[in-house]
Amino acid sequence: MSDSGEKSYDVIIVGAGPAGLGAAIESGKAGARTLLLDENQKPGGQLFKQIHKFFGSKEHFAGMRGFLIGEKLLEEAVKHNVEFRLGARVWGLYPDGCVTATDEENSLNFKGKKIILATGASENALSFPGCTLPGVITAGAAQTFVNVQHVLPGKDFVVVGSGNVGLIVTYQLLQAGANVIKIIEAAPKISGYGVHAAKIRRAGIQILTGHTIISASGRDQVERVIIAKVDENFNPIEGTQQTILCDTVALAVGLSPRIELAGAGGCEMTYSKTLGGVLPVHDDNMETSFEHILIAGDLSGIEEASTALDEGRLAGCRAAYRLGLMTLEDYTSKKVMILNRLAELRCGPFGNKRMLAKEEIWKKAV
Amino acid sequence: MEESCLNKEKIVCRCEEITEEEIMAAIRGGADTLDAVKKSTRSCMGFCQGRTCKRLIASMLSSYFKRPIEDFLPGSLRLPITPIRLSILADTAISSDFGNEDAHA
Amino acid sequence: MRKIFIDCPEQIPCNPCVHICPVGAITIEGSITNLPKGNKELCTGCGLCVAACPGQACFLVDTEFKEGFASVDFPYEFLPLPTVGMTVKARDNEGQTLTDGTVEAVIQRESSHQTAIIRISVPTKYAYLVRGIKPITDFVKAL
Repeated sequence: MSDSGEKSYDVIIVGAGPAGLGAAIESGKAGARTLLLDENQKPGGQLFKQIHKFFGSKEHFAGMRGFLIGEKLLEEAVKHNVEFRLGARVWGLYPDGCVTATDEENSLNFKGKKIILATGASENALSFPGCTLPGVITAGAAQTFVNVQHVLPGKDFVVVGSGNVGLIVTYQLLQAGANVIKIIEAAPKISGYGVHAAKIRRAGIQILTGHTIISASGRDQVERVIIAKVDENFNPIEGTQQTILCDTVALAVGLSPRIELAGAGGCEMTYSKTLGGVLPVHDDNMETSFEHILIAGDLSGIEEASTALDEGRLAGCRAAYRLGLMTLEDYTSKKVMILNRLAELRCGPFGNKRMLAKEEIWKKAV
Repeated sequence: MEESCLNKEKIVCRCEEITEEEIMAAIRGGADTLDAVKKSTRSCMGFCQGRTCKRLIASMLSSYFKRPIEDFLPGSLRLPITPIRLSILADTAISSDFGNEDAHA
Repeated sequence: MRKIFIDCPEQIPCNPCVHICPVGAITIEGSITNLPKGNKELCTGCGLCVAACPGQACFLVDTEFKEGFASVDFPYEFLPLPTVGMTVKARDNEGQTLTDGTVEAVIQRESSHQTAIIRISVPTKYAYLVRGIKPITDFVKAL
């Protein structure tokens, strides 16, 4: 080790979204010296982009707008003496618990007895002619423009994908005064919640299922897109093409766990289509193939902010227990409570598939 | 040319501007893993380090070889996970027991 | 009298409606993903659930609002807000315009966290079909 000032902590958490905040709150509450790292200048992850009211139960702050939940969690983390290091881009994780980051000027090295990764997800891409034209953005980017920067990235939108992200972002674009011409969805039916779909259909937005984007074109930026019907194998059907004039295409075609750090740190990986792709193997204590590396939130499978928050809490409790800061009885009762809440979020026709997928992953960890 | 994308090029790796055709050529030429495609085309080697195109390339490999996509993911995951200045890398203490071969590369 | 009408079609984990109702007129039996039931006998028509429901699935319907007309209260989160007396396009869940409606009230409560409740009157036969209105997009005119 060089002398570049490696600082030691009981728990280091990477990512200050709902999962990271949940973990930090619990680990801080238990008395662990906790550091929360995030590459952004503000903590909260995607929470501060969410201006809609959340589903869930009271414990998940249901009915509250996402950004207000973010503020509540932050307040709680600060109360429990969590140390925040923002603007710190983590680029390395070593099996000895060393976390390397940079604030773009300096190298920042930290060492943690327990590492909780809550790195979230990245948005999936789509390739089509013209996909690199200015005006083709992801739904998450559109949401950042509108809800964080308060700028409309375009006037006339086509949204690709009718999952909850596509539906919510469309609603928020409408609220910001944009003209959303259509949502197109390759699947034969709307893939997000019916209530989210209803909100925008009532506003007059058509969701065109069984359609895909063929290309985007324009002189200096998107001026039009061509869409077409697809067959059951999602291949475009000849002769069904239509042109839509628009200046912005927002892609909401799914999320993938952001596994790079866990992978580079050596965590064993597995695959679950239901949970968004490749993700670290973990058990129902959120521990990975390395006992001292825990994960939570979208990294451990794409779900929702409420599940991320509870998984974070569970990981934070587990780390505290392993550090001897929580008795086995206390940990077990907290674990049961959290897993029960998670089971509630993972039931019903949407949640049940995720529950089964999670159980599959837990089995692999044994 | 009237428009910037009259050619029907599909760019798969935005960072390194690698087209679908170039990736298909690599696959047909024997690149049968993500890493092989990466090494022969420079895809996944740009600023985003494959976060955008990896999945797309894996799905091309999957349909070409008629094998499930998970056979091709995630490819190698190595440090640094995001582009950083060499000076940062040089500055950083490197422990001797990181046990990850890729990290030495 | 205005009474609760719930159009909550899918089993998703959600129950703020149960907690917001001051008279216990909304219940979810068993699992949180089960569908809520509204009790018209108990409902006082306060409308707290209309603004609180994250899925915008709670409505108030008064089938005897006026001779031949019903009133429908629904949540509305676009700006500008309509104004009382305005003629609006009343829409169903698919976005089809059913009829013209007249704005009867625009209710904004602090506890509703920026969700306004709009009450419109429509011919009685549309009472249980109306779910919202065509958003008022003419910013300049509205200002």
